Amino acid sequence: MRRRPVLWGLAALALLFLLGPILLMVPVAFSSGDTIEFPPPGLSTRWFEQALDYQPFLDALRTSLLVAGGATLLALLIGVPATLVIQRYRFPGRKAIETLFLSPVIVPELVLGFALFQQLMVTLRITALGALLIGHTVLLLPYAVRVTGASLAMSDPALEEAARGLGAGPVRAFFRITLPVMTPGIVAASVLSLLTSFNNVPLSLLLTGPGMSTLPVEMLRYVEFSFDPVVAAVSTLLLGITVVVALVTERLVGFNKVFSQ
Amino acid sequence: MTPVVQLKAVTREFAGTAAVREVDLTVTRGQFVALLGPSGCGKTTTLRMIAGYLQPTSGTILLEGRDATRLPPERRNIGMVFQSYALFPHMTVAKNVAFGLQMRKVPAAQIRTRVHEALDLVGLAHLADRRPQQLSGGQQQRVALARAIAARPAVLLLDEPLSNLDARLRVQMRQELLRIQRETGITAILVTHDQEEALELADSMVILDRGRVVQQGHPREVFRAPRTRFVAEFLGYENFLDLPGRGRITIRPEHVDVVEHDAAPPAGGESVTGTVAAVRFRGTDCVVTVDVGGQNVLATTTNDSLRAGSPVRLFLPLDRAISLTGTDSVPGDGGQGTPSLQHQQESPA
Repeated sequence: MRRRPVLWGLAALALLFLLGPILLMVPVAFSSGDTIEFPPPGLSTRWFEQALDYQPFLDALRTSLLVAGGATLLALLIGVPATLVIQRYRFPGRKAIETLFLSPVIVPELVLGFALFQQLMVTLRITALGALLIGHTVLLLPYAVRVTGASLAMSDPALEEAARGLGAGPVRAFFRITLPVMTPGIVAASVLSLLTSFNNVPLSLLLTGPGMSTLPVEMLRYVEFSFDPVVAAVSTLLLGITVVVALVTERLVGFNKVFSQ
Repeated sequence: MTPVVQLKAVTREFAGTAAVREVDLTVTRGQFVALLGPSGCGKTTTLRMIAGYLQPTSGTILLEGRDATRLPPERRNIGMVFQSYALFPHMTVAKNVAFGLQMRKVPAAQIRTRVHEALDLVGLAHLADRRPQQLSGGQQQRVALARAIAARPAVLLLDEPLSNLDARLRVQMRQELLRIQRETGITAILVTHDQEEALELADSMVILDRGRVVQQGHPREVFRAPRTRFVAEFLGYENFLDLPGRGRITIRPEHVDVVEHDAAPPAGGESVTGTVAAVRFRGTDCVVTVDVGGQNVLATTTNDSLRAGSPVRLFLPLDRAISLTGTDSVPGDGGQGTPSLQHQQESPA
């Protein structure tokens, strides 16, 4: 490690570049001043109190959690069976279907959002919550298919055959063998999906309506009009939650397993 | 006695091409049968049809006398060892072995003793609580074997079980496999491309070529009297000669006598003349390659004065020469006469 000072120097720079702004935000959240300034004039937790008292943030947080949870669940319910079919069977059009499931990653989210806005909210008159759920499900499908697919592709296809040969019917072979083998992949896909949905702005921006907003969108709206450290406080809270999720995931399945797939 | 496994005119086509054609096979209780052939000969396809992972296009499969042609694998009472072992990664060794017993609704108390018995048989009782990933290849192989036999299936199916082991371990495991088969008396079908493995393990050898059974019998019988050039080459014979009046024969290099070019041929055999093309000195003897009218014949000799270009006479004792009476051509295949060299190259070493 001592033999590569340049490499380590670059790595440290990159880390500073990535983490610096985030780390600067934390002291600002604990500021006692009235505006965002660095260094803060004094320390207090008043902005946290204010953030947790601000009803639009609380409503938006509830919507965000509901949408993230719901969309993740829907994406997995559609994505996992799709993955199984794509990975385990050979049929004409297999590649095309796989590409179709991955395509939302390629389409710009604003375009996707606008298309869904037009179809769901304008034409079909679906509520903002419904539109958000459907939109985020589309957004998350590629992750569900990709990540669970990777874990399935790495497992031995003979596992199911082995279970069948030992006397398990197709349903039992699935629940006793295939599903448990896919579990790390499903957990990884869930974490990735929850965070992706929770952090999404472009799609949510177009699919939110009056009285229905996700937290990032609500935060965006807030900073348009105010310059106080409330948003820094909310961001710090989100940062904390993300770190906790990461640690729990690491404990449960191991990060290497989750993201190296 | 009802055969444990019986195949009647089983054919399997993939996209119109037959991978297995009209194969008949009878396996009796306690027999150890080896399906042998180069890759693509249909041996694995045949095994997978017996296991129920593939359906025959036509023909009948009987297991213990019952028609099992359309039965799914879980209703066939088989135990299969996969080339990749296919151990369940999320279960301990003991749970892996217990799986088949649980599926057959064996009472829990009995499962414990039978798991122990099976692991004991393969010498791994002390590793019952490990995960498959924590075991070496050879140990995983044993667990796969224990899992396959724990539920005492009617037939043990082995799909190239030793091919992922290194050469030394492979030879050890052969003896181990044979011991376990003898101790349990289980009927076994082994798929392999390794003729040594088949010769050593099987009491019946079935050689397949392009989806057809070309010869079957006791390994000693088949080895002593290969019927076609393909079989002979696959079993390691290298010399092939067309003798006027005798047809095609094969003979092992150590049975060919190299004599003086002008020596009178001894009685009791054929003799041919040729020119030494190459000499390989091995210490106690030499292997000479002799060009006999365009065909290379290998012979071992203690005469170390031979050089490339020397004219020699080869004596082929008739009691050592094996007549190849069958032809390798497959009907509907263009009827090639001697396509076997190609096959030899296809087969993994």
